[in-house]
Amino acid sequence: MSTGISYREKCLYASLLAELLVYGPYFFLHRQNSVNKVAGMIVAIIVLQVILQSIIALFARNRMTDERDRLIELRGYRVGYITFASLMVLGLAMLWFHSTVGHLQLENRWVGLHFLNVFFGMLVIADISKTATQIVSYRRAL
Amino acid sequence: MPAIRNQIRELRAMRKMTQQELADQVGVTRQTVIAIEQDKYSPSLETAFKVAIALGVTLEQCFQFDPKAKR
Repeated sequence: MSTGISYREKCLYASLLAELLVYGPYFFLHRQNSVNKVAGMIVAIIVLQVILQSIIALFARNRMTDERDRLIELRGYRVGYITFASLMVLGLAMLWFHSTVGHLQLENRWVGLHFLNVFFGMLVIADISKTATQIVSYRRAL
Repeated sequence: MPAIRNQIRELRAMRKMTQQELADQVGVTRQTVIAIEQDKYSPSLETAFKVAIALGVTLEQCFQFDPKAKR
């Protein structure tokens, strides 16, 4: 029996696609990232999300969301938060370790950008894990 | 075996009602009706009452609770 794909699920696939299309090249293709590229990436993901969500909304017959959608959304946010908090603890522990050992030179001009990328990366991983959890919950029918 | 089981599929079939028709009456998506029928999702009390009303039966005729079963 076919379970079909609901409007919310289509939106989640679009979100995951947009995240992978924008974040992927940023983190894996560019070696010399900059603050401008971070800002550009944020604009790019907003524009891409608006375009994709608009296309889905245009062709969706039923845009209803119900209690199960909200439950799955909450589950996704919980996983995203746990992922982000764990990465933050790991990042702070690594920061402490490097500053204690003495390899970290805080006066270096690239350190700020490095931290920006690391913390932005944590946000990206948390966001992708949130979206992926929601998709898995829909596929498993919760 | 799930703790909460239901007879929605049988009751729906007896009334020749589609999943979409039931979903529209209850105010949920068709995917939610499918998940409930497959015992993969236990609805809220409010939705359970709405399902029972839409099928014209009591809550006990529609949903059964087994306290010994594991979720």
